[in-house]
Amino acid sequence: MKVAAILLDTGRELLYRKTIIVYFGIVTLVLLFFALALQTDVANGAIASLTVAGLQGSASHGGFQMGDDASGEGMGGLTAETFVHYVQLGTAFLLYPLAILMSVFATASLVPRMLEKGTIDLLLSKPITRPSLFLSRYAGGLLTAALNLLYLTVGLAVILGWKTGVWNGGFVLSGLLMSVYFACLLAFTVLAGVLLRSTTVSIMLTAALFFVSLLVRLPHANRDWPLLITSRPVRFLSQAAVETLYYSLPRSFEFVQSTTSLIRHEGSVAWGAVLGSAASGAVALGLAVVYFSRKDY
Amino acid sequence: MTSASAVVCERLSKTYRSPLGRGGVTALSGLDLRVPAGQTFGLLGPNGAGKTTLVKLLLAIAFPTAGRATVLDRPPGDVRAKARIGYLPENHRYPPHLTAEQVLHHFGRLSGMKREERTRRVEALLRRVRMEEWSRVRVHKYSKGMMQRLGMAQAILNEPDLLILDEPTDGVDPIGRREIRDLLLEQKARGATIFLNSHLLSEVERLCDRVAILKDGMLLREGQVADLTRQKSAFEVDVRPTAPGVLETVAPRVPGLAVVPPIGAGAAAGGGGAPPVAGPGTLPRLQRLELSGDVPALNRAIDALRGQGVEIAAIQPRRDSLEDVFIRVLEEGETQ
Repeated sequence: MKVAAILLDTGRELLYRKTIIVYFGIVTLVLLFFALALQTDVANGAIASLTVAGLQGSASHGGFQMGDDASGEGMGGLTAETFVHYVQLGTAFLLYPLAILMSVFATASLVPRMLEKGTIDLLLSKPITRPSLFLSRYAGGLLTAALNLLYLTVGLAVILGWKTGVWNGGFVLSGLLMSVYFACLLAFTVLAGVLLRSTTVSIMLTAALFFVSLLVRLPHANRDWPLLITSRPVRFLSQAAVETLYYSLPRSFEFVQSTTSLIRHEGSVAWGAVLGSAASGAVALGLAVVYFSRKDY
Repeated sequence: MTSASAVVCERLSKTYRSPLGRGGVTALSGLDLRVPAGQTFGLLGPNGAGKTTLVKLLLAIAFPTAGRATVLDRPPGDVRAKARIGYLPENHRYPPHLTAEQVLHHFGRLSGMKREERTRRVEALLRRVRMEEWSRVRVHKYSKGMMQRLGMAQAILNEPDLLILDEPTDGVDPIGRREIRDLLLEQKARGATIFLNSHLLSEVERLCDRVAILKDGMLLREGQVADLTRQKSAFEVDVRPTAPGVLETVAPRVPGLAVVPPIGAGAAAGGGGAPPVAGPGTLPRLQRLELSGDVPALNRAIDALRGQGVEIAAIQPRRDSLEDVFIRVLEEGETQ
């Protein structure tokens, strides 16, 4: 019951801060758009005709056209499955970063706010252990963000399935995968929050971590880059720094790749990167819990 | 409660180290303290004396550098002990997105209270602290006094065996203070141990059975309020003289005896002021004398007064206010 109390309060706090509500509203508009404006006619697994908000769609010169001046070549044999994959990929590329960004903004304050004088005293006086308190707070933030991601993926998968008859479970799985990615990021966000007690700095560090994780992937993937450095000690140190950062941070690039693979059913999920990221997130979360459990407030 | 002491501190010390590890601030130094179960205990001291640090150590909000403490026979931080504690921190903050009702339910859940019991207690307490009309308004709209009343309701929600209050009347108007005092008296009557940390010495004097005075992290004095405020060798004697000027004749003959000048009409014996002024040609009904001396000196004074036919109406040891005691103890602490 105590853990449930913290989860409930965390959810309420996030809703009160409006960021999650804004994201929820945007996703709802997207879902409503597809539910109300998209009309498809599927025959033998191919899209025979397509209208979006009353505008006729057609295939033309390898692309699509919408509107009255569409040339009427039909959909060029576009299969319903490919169409669904395109829509879901587009939505994922547009809304997943937004979801992650808004979730980071919304949840970065969870730990610093909990640590404010007058709040933390009261929480620590209650019969709940410090690790339970901290982990419940983390889980509350993660659960709220994950529910929003699943709202998007399940909602869109159902709408497109209803409209085209293509049910792509990979899209829902991609939402779950992004939730795992957010869990890794959030672990670093709460570590920054418990160490520095600042929402702004936590957001900045999380953003820096995201960009560094993308940047270090380039030298990690190109094994010849150390040859550019002539000094052997500097070369060794640079290589060690890149590899350490790559393996100790959430591997953003691989998550994006895996998301695409899940939606398109092509290639495979980079489980090594996913598990490695989860391990680095677990270490960050563990450090945060240990620090929180030993700190005087 | 299984022990005679709700709180025990043995050589309890706390030093806050600086971030770089050099030096630090000693907030508590070798504190030995026992708070008897069922009593109301006041913790006094100037700012920076270590009062809040002691409360934090008892609740495991901070950890001691040395020594040990037990709270309700368990180490601080023990979940079972915490379930029997109510706490009102200084400058407490509640989640601004919650209403008073939600705040109480939230902290009730955290205290492990079952839903039926929680609902019953929340409704009763909101009525008790006169917050039922505000129960569905978010707390960020509350005044300081309302927050304090809500804080009191939160602290006693689980009917705790030990109630720890850090400045409960801070920022509260006189009527609010009286309401909080009444609530505390109810808790005391229920058998709860109350650990009160307050700057308002008059409140502490009214409520507390025992007090401890801290300064610079050290215990300067601890004891029953009645014992601390009683002067060891001073008495007040209320008498009814038989003739004008008789007291002025007797007093110089008894070492340490002095007549207290009357300060106004209407004062009653033992009422804290000198008895009434006599009208022209009349005798005052009662007159107060002060004696600085021990019990034999008191008996000599009584003999001298009775020898002149003076009627003794009342004798009482002279008491200081807790504020007098507090200031004296701190001054003594400074000179030591």
